[in-house]
Amino acid sequence: MSTPDREPGARVDYKALVEDDRIHASLYTDPRIFADEMERIFHRGWVFVGHASEIPRAGDYVTRRLGAQPVIMVRGREGQVSVFVNRCRHRGTMLCPAERGHARTFACPYHGWTYDIDGALLGVPYPGGYAALDRSEYGLEAAPRVSSYRGFVFASFAATGIPLLEHLGAATRLIDRSCDLSPTGEIELTAGWVKHRCAANWKVLPENDSDGYHLGFVHLALFKTVRMQYQRVVGDEKAIKAVVRDWGHGHIEIDWSPGYQGPFEWFGGASGPVVADFVAALERRDGPELARRRIMQGPAHALIFPNLFLGETNIAIVEPVDVEECVHWHTPMFWAGVPQFNGRLLRMAEAGMGPASFLMPEDLIVAARNQQGLRARTPEWLLLSRGLNREYVDEQGRAVSHVTDETTNRALWRHYRAVMTEA
Amino acid sequence: MVSDQDHQAVVEFLYREARLADEARYAEWLALWTDDAVYWVPASTDPAADPETRISHIYDNRNRLETRIKLLQTGHRYSQEPASLMRRLISNIEVTAEPDGELVAGSNFILAELAVQARSEMHWWVGRTTHQLRRLDGALRLRLKKVVLINAAEPLPNLSFLI
Repeated sequence: MSTPDREPGARVDYKALVEDDRIHASLYTDPRIFADEMERIFHRGWVFVGHASEIPRAGDYVTRRLGAQPVIMVRGREGQVSVFVNRCRHRGTMLCPAERGHARTFACPYHGWTYDIDGALLGVPYPGGYAALDRSEYGLEAAPRVSSYRGFVFASFAATGIPLLEHLGAATRLIDRSCDLSPTGEIELTAGWVKHRCAANWKVLPENDSDGYHLGFVHLALFKTVRMQYQRVVGDEKAIKAVVRDWGHGHIEIDWSPGYQGPFEWFGGASGPVVADFVAALERRDGPELARRRIMQGPAHALIFPNLFLGETNIAIVEPVDVEECVHWHTPMFWAGVPQFNGRLLRMAEAGMGPASFLMPEDLIVAARNQQGLRARTPEWLLLSRGLNREYVDEQGRAVSHVTDETTNRALWRHYRAVMTEA
Repeated sequence: MVSDQDHQAVVEFLYREARLADEARYAEWLALWTDDAVYWVPASTDPAADPETRISHIYDNRNRLETRIKLLQTGHRYSQEPASLMRRLISNIEVTAEPDGELVAGSNFILAELAVQARSEMHWWVGRTTHQLRRLDGALRLRLKKVVLINAAEPLPNLSFLI
């Protein structure tokens, strides 16, 4: 029996727990595995922190958690974005409790140590108590690697490793697909975040966000009540045209667009002057043909490993809390320069995501039931084989399959296994 | 100034509305609302938060409010299937009258929710509510309900019951 029972301190054998077509239940329940993930995925790896539009001016900041670590993402005096550990170098006190704000300095409430927005230690009260304190050695701890793509800021606490663009690979095109729908090419995350608590292991969220199989069941209440863009995935299996796709490096996508029959299906249909103005702006930039392709296809529905979910017209973050708890953050993805259009995106965000919405409460209650079921010691394995009989590799080398297939889950776990076992 | 009679009518309305929500009596609860209903639960405690630019947990007009109720009535709204067991206490009620005759009530609440849909968990919801009430055909009806949770900006569990 390949059992999760190990001697204390023994290393987890991830190759034995993650097979190509099945995974071991302990991956969702073992606190030692959670600790390994915080180190390997959320500390060393590239992790999404926030978007540059959240901190437009020097001194603007937001606080987040990367894994369990509290961090501050702040725009510095030269306009650069830094990610600092939210902790005073003296006695470890969390510096900044606010979720967002504007600062000229960060002052520790404990003994008054003060830092500037570029992380430099400015002042130490009563310096006579130190023979020689070199302030340059005690600036805020900064993530050694911070990099962004189209305003999406990622950080890694490993000094060396692959560059962000290599981590994203071909998946930059998914981010492009969402941003290019903005008439200026810029997105703005300015509506604030809703945080939805989930009583399940964090990996359930990226898996569910890219699962096309559950919709007609988990969201049956909604399908019975209103027409929506996912309607065609609750029909006959052979008639469903939407696909799932593996973009490599754990980045995975549901592409609904092959099933769309007209423009703006992802927007609940197109009518009225708000949409006409938006289309006119896109056409001025892209010409009618490319503009039409964009509004047919809509924004991406994709998970950028490990914690950024491009949720069509929303941006979401997966935040691990402990082995049986996580938080799903979301905000509507506003496009620069079209305020009325954004007003509808705001109402769509409230309908789709968050604790009082019409979709996510069902996802998260099923996730919580998963977590309860996974506490059972037997059976040990979860199936991951759906679609192996029909998935294919496209001309760009990506695995593609029917939208209800587990191609996405397998891609996620394959990358997970690589990250958790690399030297 | 609000007459004793109006004050008493508002208090009775608040208690009745609370009981219908607690007991998941969806159709009766929906019947309390006007056609120009606004049901608003901000995702922030900032009193200046504008629902047209800042995200809310709930910002329903009549149409969306009806959808919310229909979902609950399908029997497949699994986040409320079975419905949470709830009781809320309402207190610190202050009633004022608008020049157009609408009555505005501010009140505090504590709501105990036993969420029974996965593992039974007790959730506590605390906040201040504003009810805007209008008299229609002799009866008070609800035009606006705004619920500001003290933890509106924190991670919240499912809020698919009627708060």
